[in-house]
Amino acid sequence: MAALGTARRLLRTCSRVKNVQRGEQRSVRCGLRTLCSGTRDHALSDNTRPQFTDPAVQDLLTRMTGLDLQKVFRPIKEELKPPTYKLMTDQQLEEAVELATQQAEKLLQMPPLLSERKPISDVLSVDKILDGMDTAKYVFTDITYNILHRERFIVVREPDGTLRKASWEERDRLVQVYFPKEGRKLTAPLIFKEGNLKMVFSQDRHEDVLDLCLVQFEPDSSDYIRVHAATYEDLDKHGKYELLRSTRHFGGMTWYLLGARRADGLIVDMLKRDLLQDAVSLVSLFHMVHPHSESAQEAASQQAAGADLLKIYADKESQKSGYIELALQAYEQLTTKKSSAE
Amino acid sequence: MVHLSSLLLKNYHGGYVVIRLALAGHKQANRPFYRIVAAYNKRARDGKYLEQLGSYDPLPNIYNEKLVSFNFDRIKYWIGCGAHPTKPVAKLLGLAGFFPLHPMTITEAERRRAQTELIATEDVLQEGQKEAEV
Repeated sequence: MAALGTARRLLRTCSRVKNVQRGEQRSVRCGLRTLCSGTRDHALSDNTRPQFTDPAVQDLLTRMTGLDLQKVFRPIKEELKPPTYKLMTDQQLEEAVELATQQAEKLLQMPPLLSERKPISDVLSVDKILDGMDTAKYVFTDITYNILHRERFIVVREPDGTLRKASWEERDRLVQVYFPKEGRKLTAPLIFKEGNLKMVFSQDRHEDVLDLCLVQFEPDSSDYIRVHAATYEDLDKHGKYELLRSTRHFGGMTWYLLGARRADGLIVDMLKRDLLQDAVSLVSLFHMVHPHSESAQEAASQQAAGADLLKIYADKESQKSGYIELALQAYEQLTTKKSSAE
Repeated sequence: MVHLSSLLLKNYHGGYVVIRLALAGHKQANRPFYRIVAAYNKRARDGKYLEQLGSYDPLPNIYNEKLVSFNFDRIKYWIGCGAHPTKPVAKLLGLAGFFPLHPMTITEAERRRAQTELIATEDVLQEGQKEAEV
């Protein structure tokens, strides 16, 4: 009798140990947010329109972003540590610089660009018998570890008895409550209000604002898009493109300006800093994005390349054609001087 | 009833697993916070449990919401093992839509509505009396 009891208990322990093992083998969800594929645009635009995530577009944008190591690895506010000095040979120094470039490329990875999300308005059930059951809403969140935050079930039971899915703002807030992400606050920091944004822009801190925005908001939320649009508008108005040049936000800014067809200021700025290649790639990107514009068709017919592209763009599209032509002439003079000096 | 016992846990003769609310944060007075927990029936309410399956905050926050969280995957597992949910947990699950609605929720809602109507009619009567006096 006792032997039977112990045998039964042994069997149970074996099964429990097996269950525990199976539980531990559950896969761990990866927390890295990688570049997500671009969502489908509205039905109005054609399917041939190049997306932000196309490899050709990304290649051009990364080339324009540049790789200024001094700026990417400039000292950020960290806890005070005494500096470490290393004695290296030339070869070791080259290897270290190569490692630094690879890390800089990873840091310069462009954040995802998605169209604005549509509001959720799904009612799961209407129970009029529950009307007046309580003065507060009940919000139910599913805390299963293995599901993506986008697919999580978050429902709200209103005091009048309707069971509806939670809106995007509620979802973001509750996901932050139960699965807190570092740096994200429950209520958005006051810096993202209109007046405060203006003050921060006057202090030339666009990059910090964009970094904060990236941490705080989801890439397809209306706040994220609004803050980014305001930042890019301000940069365009004052011509402060250099602030974003070697950062991860440069691609996003270029894409926005191209979409709004206001890339003239950027081209002028590039020519002023003698970055002819960047200007040329910007114009070719413009032709990719707007293939039906006059300058694009002209360029395609003439098979132009290099400075000719810029001339065609200056003639046909831009409002500041005078500036661009002047800058081109100055650049050509410089190149002739250099070649004659050599 | 399914007996789940192991050498690590106490062997309860005739005990079974329940999913119930356990009070947490007992160091703060007048601020209740419940954990939704799978535990043996005989254990103390706030004592050792098998697994935490969620939480329930009965006081509404600044957005007038009462936050409840459920780990549905594990709740399904424990119910499959033969755990019994208690009345408040069954009510919450019914409100969430996971279980069918608990009859007491409906009864309470009806009672509340009757109460509010009673208060409203009393107020109307009182106002009528005041007007009559004036």
